[in-house]
Amino acid sequence: MERFGYVRAATISEALTFLNQPGYKNRPLAGSTDLVLLLRRNPDLCDRVVDISLIPEMHTIEKTGNDVIIGASASFSEIISNPIIRETGPILVEACKTVGATQIRNMGTIGGNVANAAACADSLPALVCLDAMARVLTPSEEFNWTVSELVISPNKTRIPAGGLLVSLRYTIPPSGTRGVFLKLGRRNAMAISRLTVAALGRLDENGRIADARFVTGSAAPQICRFKDVETSLLGQVPTPALMLAAGKLATEEMIRLSGYRWSSEYKVPALAAMTSRALSRVFQVREPSGEVV
Amino acid sequence: MTDRQFIGKPTNRVDALEKVMGTARYTADYYLPGMLISRCLRSKVPHARIISIDTSEARQIPGVHAVITCDDFIDHGRFGFPIVDMYMLAYQRVRYVGDPIAAVAAENEESLQAALKAIKVELEPLPGLFDPRQALSPDAPLVGEKPRDAEGYPHGNLLIDYIVRQNDPDAVWKECDLVLDKEYTTMHQEHAYIETEASLAVPWPKSSGVTVYACCQSPFLAKNNIIQTVGLGSEDVRVIQPYVGGAFGGKDDTMYQTIAQTAKLALISGRPVKMVFSREESMISSYKRDAMIMHYKIGAKKDGTLMACQFHGIVDSGAYAAITPFTAWRSTIHAMGPYRYQACSVDTDVVYTNNGFAGAFRGFGNTEVCFASELAVDEIAYRLNMDPIDLRLKNCLRPGDTTSHGQKLGDDVALAECLQQVRKLSDWDRKRKEFEQGDPARIHPGELRKGIGVAAVFHGMSLGAEGKDSAVGTLRINDDNTLTLTSGLTDYGSGSRTVFTLIAAETLGINPSRIHMLRPDTDTAIDSGPTVASRATVLGGNATQVTAMRLDAILLNAAADLFHCQIVDILRDGENYIGPNEEPASFDKVVDHARQMGLTLSTEGRWNAPENHWSFESGTGKPYFAYHFGAQVAEVLVDTGTGKVEVTGYWGVHNTGTVIFPQGILGQLYGGITQGLGYALMERVDFDKGFIQATNFDEYIIPTAMDVPEIVGAFVEKPFSDGPYGAKNIAEPSLVPAAPAIINAIFHATGRRIQNLPANLERVLIGKDLRKEGSNTACKLGLHQV
Amino acid sequence: MIFDLIVNEEPIHTEAPADISLLHFLRDHLKLTGTKEGCNVGECGACSVLLDGKLVNSCLILAAQANGRRVVTIEGIHAEDGGPNDLQQAFIEYGAVQCGFCIPGMVLAGEALLNSNINPTRAEIREAIAGNLCRCTGYQQIVDAIQATALKRQEKGRRD
Repeated sequence: MERFGYVRAATISEALTFLNQPGYKNRPLAGSTDLVLLLRRNPDLCDRVVDISLIPEMHTIEKTGNDVIIGASASFSEIISNPIIRETGPILVEACKTVGATQIRNMGTIGGNVANAAACADSLPALVCLDAMARVLTPSEEFNWTVSELVISPNKTRIPAGGLLVSLRYTIPPSGTRGVFLKLGRRNAMAISRLTVAALGRLDENGRIADARFVTGSAAPQICRFKDVETSLLGQVPTPALMLAAGKLATEEMIRLSGYRWSSEYKVPALAAMTSRALSRVFQVREPSGEVV
Repeated sequence: MTDRQFIGKPTNRVDALEKVMGTARYTADYYLPGMLISRCLRSKVPHARIISIDTSEARQIPGVHAVITCDDFIDHGRFGFPIVDMYMLAYQRVRYVGDPIAAVAAENEESLQAALKAIKVELEPLPGLFDPRQALSPDAPLVGEKPRDAEGYPHGNLLIDYIVRQNDPDAVWKECDLVLDKEYTTMHQEHAYIETEASLAVPWPKSSGVTVYACCQSPFLAKNNIIQTVGLGSEDVRVIQPYVGGAFGGKDDTMYQTIAQTAKLALISGRPVKMVFSREESMISSYKRDAMIMHYKIGAKKDGTLMACQFHGIVDSGAYAAITPFTAWRSTIHAMGPYRYQACSVDTDVVYTNNGFAGAFRGFGNTEVCFASELAVDEIAYRLNMDPIDLRLKNCLRPGDTTSHGQKLGDDVALAECLQQVRKLSDWDRKRKEFEQGDPARIHPGELRKGIGVAAVFHGMSLGAEGKDSAVGTLRINDDNTLTLTSGLTDYGSGSRTVFTLIAAETLGINPSRIHMLRPDTDTAIDSGPTVASRATVLGGNATQVTAMRLDAILLNAAADLFHCQIVDILRDGENYIGPNEEPASFDKVVDHARQMGLTLSTEGRWNAPENHWSFESGTGKPYFAYHFGAQVAEVLVDTGTGKVEVTGYWGVHNTGTVIFPQGILGQLYGGITQGLGYALMERVDFDKGFIQATNFDEYIIPTAMDVPEIVGAFVEKPFSDGPYGAKNIAEPSLVPAAPAIINAIFHATGRRIQNLPANLERVLIGKDLRKEGSNTACKLGLHQV
Repeated sequence: MIFDLIVNEEPIHTEAPADISLLHFLRDHLKLTGTKEGCNVGECGACSVLLDGKLVNSCLILAAQANGRRVVTIEGIHAEDGGPNDLQQAFIEYGAVQCGFCIPGMVLAGEALLNSNINPTRAEIREAIAGNLCRCTGYQQIVDAIQATALKRQEKGRRD
């Protein structure tokens, strides 16, 4: 007996029709790399999957004015090799490169990564750092949320039943902006992230920090920008001491958000080091290891 | 060195073609008409008394053809070697999470799952024993059955204990300038063969017998277990070894259970029965490398002379003995490392717990003690301000030395050469200077630091005094003048089929392509004991050489008869035989002539390993007939901000004797080092109150291609007189020193001594492991479909 | 549901449940057993196949997702005469094969890489096969074999 059925949508509107067809408990299937495992663990999750991975309009990656729009079914591999994103959002490319390995990057999609909203999702910190917006459609409504609004908590989003995340959009950061994404895992591929940090920043003509955006992943139940870290940097001249202090602030913000957990004894020093390393590279400050980037 | 045609020359692995084409069939790849699928119901608690098992409802489910429990086997399916304490299905008690209770064969997945759910098992929980240190305390829950010969056993949880004694260390400490006193621990390690356990049993007409296709360490042990527990005659059981997708010591006891279960299910149902483990089932139910707690006290003089070594080890064998009595004996023999001491005492206690169970794993007990002793010796070098290689060279065993067991060594010993070569290959002296030694007080967090570390190994060859040690090979010339070669030893990837083929070809002076080496089949091969303890090359290789020499003698007789000359007058040129008239006769012609002479063109050769002896009472003797030696150097880059360790360079030099199959021996070296790298840095089998925390490769992580550096290997080919063409073993000793070499390099980089494996992010950064509490239901059984 | 797809250049028309993975469709329904199951959770890569030319884990994909598309398994990789192709031959010659269980997936990962990058560095090769676990070889001879094939294919490209 089949535990669930399968339909393939050719367009977004067909996908929305399928997802809202009465009599079915539907679930959108994008890259399938997460959903197939979820279905194996919980066969009652749905009685039909709606394959949205082959909808051409959901693979488009395009520049509109100062914005870049990424179809939610774009795979990590498509993002990594896309010239527009490589130029305008290299931090997202770096994040996608750290996902799993070739097979997972070929199938897994950016939309699936966001909608599944795992605490350790590698693309989330980069998207939040880019202030990316998510476009969600239902048959009657359209929602535009920032990614950090969309993701409520691990594996929980604002996407309504029958709704579909169709695209992500970010505004191209001003020229002179530099981004760094770092992932810490227990091995160099196929690793679940223990911590990720995404940082973007820019100096003004006087060498002071004009823009600073900082996000960590796998650190807190909610994915968001770390405002205390950012505030501490704005208007300052970047120095190693400033970067070290920012690292400390990041850990305080993490503990405030997540509480002191079993892993905190490790994550506090590790996040501090990763934060100051990422920010040092963004603002081109000498790192403790002596490297000048 | 004599000129050789095939040995030591680049060769292709004999079974590589089928493997790259995808046509090599592993057990799970067999699909037979009418085949049933089967699975075990397994314990979800670590320790309980079985009050009752009711399978009546399960039997009624449509599509279900057989349901069995221990009652379906003779003597409840009791088996085990060397200690008999296991059952084919649990009897009276379940002793670990994953212990099989009942097995079902059904037509399809739905019926199978329904039947597993319908089996009613009434259990009375028993207190669990999870801390091996507590195992021998008077109030510890009793996990072991009192062995039948219980006299002399001080505690039911003490499985066995061993000693080594050489003088009295307590009399030597006062002569030492430095006495190191430290405790080290290792964790269980999962074999992580990519092919999970699989067995296919095919009943004979009217269930008069059974043929089993299965991946296992020894088809002969599998067969004997079926004979004894299912109750068939020797002629009614055939076990065939298809291709095996890796084993590393891991396809022993768990597989014999699986094989006997499928055999019984097939005999009852009259249908072929296949059982293939999911990865989760494999991780939960199969045995692991044992975990060890090791206490070392080592004394040295200021000049670096090692004086005395005292060792106490506790081995966690888990719920059953399996092969742990052998691995723990090997730990005991190897505990002092490859060094000379004036005094030495080793005590090893092997205990039962409810932490899964432990058994054979590449390295076989040496891996654990080598880790600890090489860390201890390294620390002594640093504390004496000596170069770690210099200290090892000063104390290492050399030809003619006497070991701490009282064994006089032969001239095949080449550890000093290995150390010197690895020093040169790795550019050790320059790097030691260049990578400034780490001082935890002075490191800025976030610094990336380089380090370099060394470890040495000795590894007793084959089974040693653990058991009687011999192997048998057979050769037959077929009608088309091809040859069929058999060995009772299994090749689950190590390359022994190729090694044996090359030895036979070299001995007979014929092209290896003429020789077809059969995979083990109890109907065609002769029992040669298990393929464990890196014994294939020496044991199986010698047996092959003996049988090939016998066949060669027959053919030379035929050639002499053909040429009307003496055997000594015959020369060989390629496959041709050259008589005194310099007239060549082809191999085919000589074989045909031999047939005309009525000679039997098949031979059998047995090779018995040289005598060993061990006194368990005095802790002295000659435990192994010879030893393998080796030295490895690791270079690491440590991120002192996160604790992430990158192994950036690796060098291994091993005293292998003659290299027979060059690509094969390098593959063994690279593969062993990679398993050791995983053991050192990331592989973590964590039992939380008896529940294994990692059940698939998402949580149990092994190195990927991006975690392994380019490895440089070299071999000291000092011929070994008892080896085939002078060869020694390699499989296990390649893995053994990898973890200590890496951990010693981390010390060089950071100044932090990590004494517990694995050296994961947490241990490297904050000096201790962290564990999520209260997750002891993490075991995920039965994720099989979709 | 009804399946219509191309497997190893052969059109396949068959009926199978909608809820099975591509791995089980290939093995249980088409008896293409060169594709192996090692973990069934997309971690080991033993089940790797090419879907429309891209390397994927067949255990993480529903067979239904492959409907109407092209799948290549290890049985579809060979020279014109049915023997080993250059990459497979290199695996044999460089000693890249031990137990062989990961090898079908490794060969497909190698093909997928060489189809998109004719001149990969050793680091790029390691990255390309990082989703394929091998417990026997330590990967080095597999990297050797893929690199040697890349060089051969470049030479051949220059000659043609």
